[in-house]
Amino acid sequence: MAQQRALPQSKETLLQSYNKRLKDDIKSIMDNFTEIIKTAKIEDETQVSRATQGEQDNYEMHVRAANIVSGQGGGNTLGSWVRAGESLMKLVSDLKQFLILNDFPSVNEAIDQRNQQLRALQEECDRKLITLRDEVSIDLYELEEEYYSSSSSLCEANDLPLCEAYWRLDLDTDSADGLSAPLLASPEPGAGPLQAAAPAHSHAGGPGPTEHT
Amino acid sequence: MATYSLANERLRALEDIEREIGAILQNAGTVILELSKEKTNDRLLDRQAAAFTASVQHVEAELSAQIRYLTQVATGQPHEGSSYSSRKDCQMALKRVEYARLKLSDVARTCEQMLES
Repeated sequence: MAQQRALPQSKETLLQSYNKRLKDDIKSIMDNFTEIIKTAKIEDETQVSRATQGEQDNYEMHVRAANIVSGQGGGNTLGSWVRAGESLMKLVSDLKQFLILNDFPSVNEAIDQRNQQLRALQEECDRKLITLRDEVSIDLYELEEEYYSSSSSLCEANDLPLCEAYWRLDLDTDSADGLSAPLLASPEPGAGPLQAAAPAHSHAGGPGPTEHT
Repeated sequence: MATYSLANERLRALEDIEREIGAILQNAGTVILELSKEKTNDRLLDRQAAAFTASVQHVEAELSAQIRYLTQVATGQPHEGSSYSSRKDCQMALKRVEYARLKLSDVARTCEQMLES
């Protein structure tokens, strides 16, 4: 008790009540068991006839047993004894609840363990995703090469690489309206060769940055 | 949960105490039943009575120890720790995996369609 901090009154009172309940219940169990054994002792007849004494003993045993199970008041031996058993079970249940809520060392450890588990799972998921990304990027590069070098009649004009679309539109400049020409002329001439190289990288690099987020 | 070792030990100890309380009542019932017979088995009586007494003392000692421990570690404050942040991170990682799986299945379906056509 030297390490006991200044608990709030309610907690201290509660723990003291647990102690009291424990002592009372154990005492009740021991005393009542002893009393029942004593009742079973065969004695000589006293002023009361044997039949009456037998009836009294029988009634006492039944009442105490009933008290045990139902938890009614009375203070008779057998009932109090079983009631004490139930009361002990209730005390254990209350202790369990108190332990779960207030045993900080174990709660802290439980939280730490859970955090470690979840973090390990998250790191494993991310590690596998990164491995998957590295493998899929290689396959995707080959797939894209195959796709864009295949018959482009299967592709719509929107799916063409930028350079293809640019060249096709350039071919149709005579039939297209004049508005499209200034739009196409706006990119710098120096950017033309760069534009041819850019689409090849954009498809491979496009998904990459978004996966990192 | 099996992962909460320290907390589980104390809770498991309390569950053992509960079982022992049931055994106490059963022992006492056996003693009384034996007494009710015309010809009693003395050895059984003694054994059961000794077991009853030992169990009661053991239960009392264990529960006293638990209450003493709680007196030492309990404070008046509620515990405010949680594992919510790591749970959220893990949930997002699982969502990323699910998304990647969906996208891969789309790619696989597209490839199959291209092969069929």
